[in-house]
Amino acid sequence: MSGASGGEKRPPPNWILQHPAYQQMKDLQIEDSAQVHAAFLVYMDLTEVRRWKEVSCVKSSELQVVLLEAREKEGAPTLTILPLPAHQSVTHKSIRHVLDRGFPVLLCAVAADSTLVYQRMTDGLVTPDPPVGPFQDMGRRQHRKRRQQR
Amino acid sequence: MKRSELCSRRKSSVGIASSLVLPGRRTCPQVVLMEALSCGERRLGSDEEYAAPAVGVSLCDSAPLVWRMQDLRAVRAQGLVGALLGSLPRTPRQNGRLGRPLLLLPEEEGLLRERRAAAALPDRCQQDWGGAELRQKHEEEEKKSFEEQSVLALEDRKLALLRAMTGAESGATSADEALRRRLQALDQNFTFPQSAMAVQLSTARAGLSYCPEARAFLQAYGPTGAEPRCDARYQVFRDLRGRGFYLTSAGKFGGDFLVYPGDPLRFHAHFIAVCVSLDESVCLLDVLAVARLGSNVKKTVLLCSPGPDARVCYTSLQWSGMI
Repeated sequence: MSGASGGEKRPPPNWILQHPAYQQMKDLQIEDSAQVHAAFLVYMDLTEVRRWKEVSCVKSSELQVVLLEAREKEGAPTLTILPLPAHQSVTHKSIRHVLDRGFPVLLCAVAADSTLVYQRMTDGLVTPDPPVGPFQDMGRRQHRKRRQQR
Repeated sequence: MKRSELCSRRKSSVGIASSLVLPGRRTCPQVVLMEALSCGERRLGSDEEYAAPAVGVSLCDSAPLVWRMQDLRAVRAQGLVGALLGSLPRTPRQNGRLGRPLLLLPEEEGLLRERRAAAALPDRCQQDWGGAELRQKHEEEEKKSFEEQSVLALEDRKLALLRAMTGAESGATSADEALRRRLQALDQNFTFPQSAMAVQLSTARAGLSYCPEARAFLQAYGPTGAEPRCDARYQVFRDLRGRGFYLTSAGKFGGDFLVYPGDPLRFHAHFIAVCVSLDESVCLLDVLAVARLGSNVKKTVLLCSPGPDARVCYTSLQWSGMI
């Protein structure tokens, strides 16, 4: 912000600290303020940018973090979102705790420049989607290509 | 698995089959080896066939190697893949197709030991392998083969000259005469050079080993001792193998194992397994990196941890699709 002429100008109040959703999260009394900040950024992304429905924040006492619950749209199943600062570490145990809540889990990594990356986490072995066709058998074409290269 | 998924994920096998059908240079020895191995697996069927005799495992320092063909078949029949290390006698200067010995993963060796299906072969150097007899036998066989080949070469040469004679125009009598004279002289003057002889390499013998110098060299680069996470890996390996998956090492993908729904010759891998203990702290950036890699290669990343009650819990990481 450019300084005005003359005396000092008071810096404007931090809008994040005043946001009702942030204050709600603050009330959950989580010590890790970086995680609360990350949770808030994810909250804003889900509500304002992606316009997900019924976004709420919940405390996880085992992990001492703020979790978010949301639906992508009306009638969609509820998801649990775990927001974490990207430089932090995580254990498989804590991921299992979040999975035990019974909802599909989205892990969201928040980078220092507030870039958000979402990863889906599911219990068990989920077969990946098969590659899209149409398929062409390479067969002899590879042999021919290799012989030509020689 | 749905039939359509099976079809779409199966590797193209027509290329391999066609190279088996064509004669001569196209016949790839290693593919024949691999097909023989997987055929053995199909014949034996379910995993209950442990009654087969034990597999002989040779230890090179601490690396478990399998040398004999029947042992390789037995190992494959139990659903263990391993990695071929050796070069093929006919195509040595390439790394695409390798031959025996088969290097077992430490987890694979552990599983064989647990099933009491493997035994360490005695140290070669101490036994008397009758080296002199073997050498003499080899020399005799070579001499016999040389004599047979000389006879055949002489016949070939005569046939070639005869063809040249009958093919020549009737007008050139002098050329004809010259050829006839050469034919008559052939019986006395023909020599079959040693360098032209075709040598047969017998690779199916059981007595494969390496000389003491090679063994000393290999010892210098022996693998390091047990890693701290080795137990987690073994539990995961055993559990996934028990569910019918095939596992190989996943060095190329930054994970611990590649998990295939069937024999790796026929399917692409579905999962990259990363083995961690439940309490192990993993940097989130590493999780993101391996998950991103997995989505790029169309595989699901599996976080695997052995649980307290001898069960293993798995978490699948997938791209969320939210950009």
